[in-house]
Amino acid sequence: MVENPEFKVIGFFCNWCSYAGADLAGNMRLNYPADVRILRIPCTGRMDPLFALKALLEGADGVMVSG
Amino acid sequence: MARVGVFICHCGSNIAGKVDVEAVARESASIPGVAYSSHNKYSCSEAGQKTIIDAIKENRLDRVVIGACSPKMHENTFRNTIRQAGLNPYMLEIANLREHVSWVTEDRDAATRKALDLVRSAVGKVAFAKPLTPGKVPVEKRALIIGGGIAGIQAALDIAGMGYEVVLVEREPSIGGRMAQLDKTFPTLDCSACILSPRMVDVAQNPNIRLLSYSEVESVGGYVGNFDVVIRKKARYVNESKCTGCLECVSKCPVRKIPNEFENGKAMRRAIYVPFAQSVPKVPVIDKNHCQYLLSPDPSTIEVKEGERKPRRRCGACKIVCGQDAIDFEQQDEFIKEKFGAIVLATGFNPFDHSKYGEYGAGRIPDVITALDFERMVNSSGPTEGKILRPSNGEKPQRVVFIQCVGSRDEAKGVPYCSRICCMFTAKQAILTREKLPDAEVFVFYMDIRAAGKGYEEFVRRAQMEYGAEYIRGRVSRVYESDGRLIVKAADTLAGLPVEMEADLVVLATGSVAREDAFELASAIGITTDSYGFISEVHPKLKPVEIPREGVFACGACLSPRDIPDTVATAGAVAAKVGILFSKDFLESDPMVAEIDPFKCAACGACVAVCPYSAITMEEFRGKKFAKVNEAMCQGCGTCTAACRPGAAQLKGQTDEQILRSVEAVLQW
Repeated sequence: MVENPEFKVIGFFCNWCSYAGADLAGNMRLNYPADVRILRIPCTGRMDPLFALKALLEGADGVMVSG
Repeated sequence: MARVGVFICHCGSNIAGKVDVEAVARESASIPGVAYSSHNKYSCSEAGQKTIIDAIKENRLDRVVIGACSPKMHENTFRNTIRQAGLNPYMLEIANLREHVSWVTEDRDAATRKALDLVRSAVGKVAFAKPLTPGKVPVEKRALIIGGGIAGIQAALDIAGMGYEVVLVEREPSIGGRMAQLDKTFPTLDCSACILSPRMVDVAQNPNIRLLSYSEVESVGGYVGNFDVVIRKKARYVNESKCTGCLECVSKCPVRKIPNEFENGKAMRRAIYVPFAQSVPKVPVIDKNHCQYLLSPDPSTIEVKEGERKPRRRCGACKIVCGQDAIDFEQQDEFIKEKFGAIVLATGFNPFDHSKYGEYGAGRIPDVITALDFERMVNSSGPTEGKILRPSNGEKPQRVVFIQCVGSRDEAKGVPYCSRICCMFTAKQAILTREKLPDAEVFVFYMDIRAAGKGYEEFVRRAQMEYGAEYIRGRVSRVYESDGRLIVKAADTLAGLPVEMEADLVVLATGSVAREDAFELASAIGITTDSYGFISEVHPKLKPVEIPREGVFACGACLSPRDIPDTVATAGAVAAKVGILFSKDFLESDPMVAEIDPFKCAACGACVAVCPYSAITMEEFRGKKFAKVNEAMCQGCGTCTAACRPGAAQLKGQTDEQILRSVEAVLQW
């Protein structure tokens, strides 16, 4: 596959609110840029700062935490 | 080495229309750890699931990634699928290729790249998954019902009817609730007491139901199947087991001028009282804020100086006349701690407080009354013994005006929602007025008529056609007194003309609002209310009586304004849900809970402090302290895992390693 033209934004989304919200965006067919990769975490309480650091170390352009 | 199988679902054209599923399946094959990959038209179909099961067996796969719709849709379906193939159901990850990719991405190439990344991430995570087994929690098959109105009564009878033990807690001295205050009920004009009282008696006589009246729930701990509840039984100063309900005490009580709450303050009661004649239990209560005995000091504790009169003897008239020696002035509030498997909220509603409507007199004009006042007035056991009279002079009104939507559908002064019952009770009250006062005129000012219910529209038409109630569409702007009558000023919005008419009695159709303390009760139980204070259900359509805290249910008007048929229906629904819960001896608990490695634990207590569910406690074994998780109370949020510095706490299925690997994998593009 060719080189990705997108940014690399990693989203850590709470299962109960934001992840469900992203599902709802899908149900409503709301288009948004493909630059974000959403990972499901059980609660933003689970969010360890290490996860964000790891993403940045692996080359992410940005990290988004939502919950 | 893990042997991961990747299955990409087309979801018809839902995913395949935007994502090159064949390319994703092909590329997935080269992800480290992937031993097999394929794509399928509909993975969730029976044929699709069979393909997955066969592929797992043929290729000796030990874990699975499915690229399909949101895990919220079919995670459980696919857990079952891989279980059938002999795998542990938790050796599964779902890559959300529909809601998070194909449905939200314009560009086909970008969608395909994103889909592949999500599959990579899922493979990275599932490669470090470990088999998990659900725990088993016993179910305490007893239900607590909070609120003894028709909702709580019906739920109690239904649950007790299944053979389960029920404790019904009611804060007032008697059960019955709002329905007991009503005269007749729409649209059949049944007498409310005649249909309610037998149910109240059934509650009292049912061996499976224990009634705790004049009691309140103090606190709720624990979890589904095992709630620990503290109930405060308020001191009633009357021994319930001795009292025979003769009410001799009530007739002798000298304190007579206390507004009776049951009569909406429109009649008086004594300091020892039962709220109404059909009260269940028929055991009086002493109002400690008005009882002369309880308010006056004990004479034996008062020092009497020379020349002073001895203090008067304390009242105690009730105690003197009670043949059963049931009066007990020494009684104290009692705290009862019990275990329950399920909790039902049936706390009901309050009528809207019309004092916010200054233009309608705000409660100052005696001849402007509320719908509830009217119910009591028209009831034969009410303050006027069923006669419709003007409160100002006790005369029969010549013209009665009803004003609808007082509080409802009024964002400025009241609430924006429709209270659903007011159109109907107004039509009923119009009919009752015309029945009792055939010579009186009846006018109803309304915004819209909302009569959606079995026989409702016909009932409103009857009020108009058969009983001659005049309906005027329009908002009343002012009600004021003039020359001993009332002037009602309004706009007739159909005729486009201002209206001004004299009236003798104005009845306000006050809306339904949440109880002012509903929020406190909800917080004590750990559940949420909406912005109006009504209890929030899990799903308004598909889970209308379930509450986000598992094992807690709600019925009736504490959820939203509703009429008696809907209240009774939801009470029955709650009973069915409780029955489902109690049909099992053990509940399976979600295995995705935290565990703490006692050898790594430094006993710092950080996890204990951050746990929102108080599920972690400090334990000690042979002199070593460590934190321990109560698996049944743990909700799997993982806050402890994030807070744990030595990495001793790990959320199963969401370990540090799994998440870090999924981050690593998603960034391999």
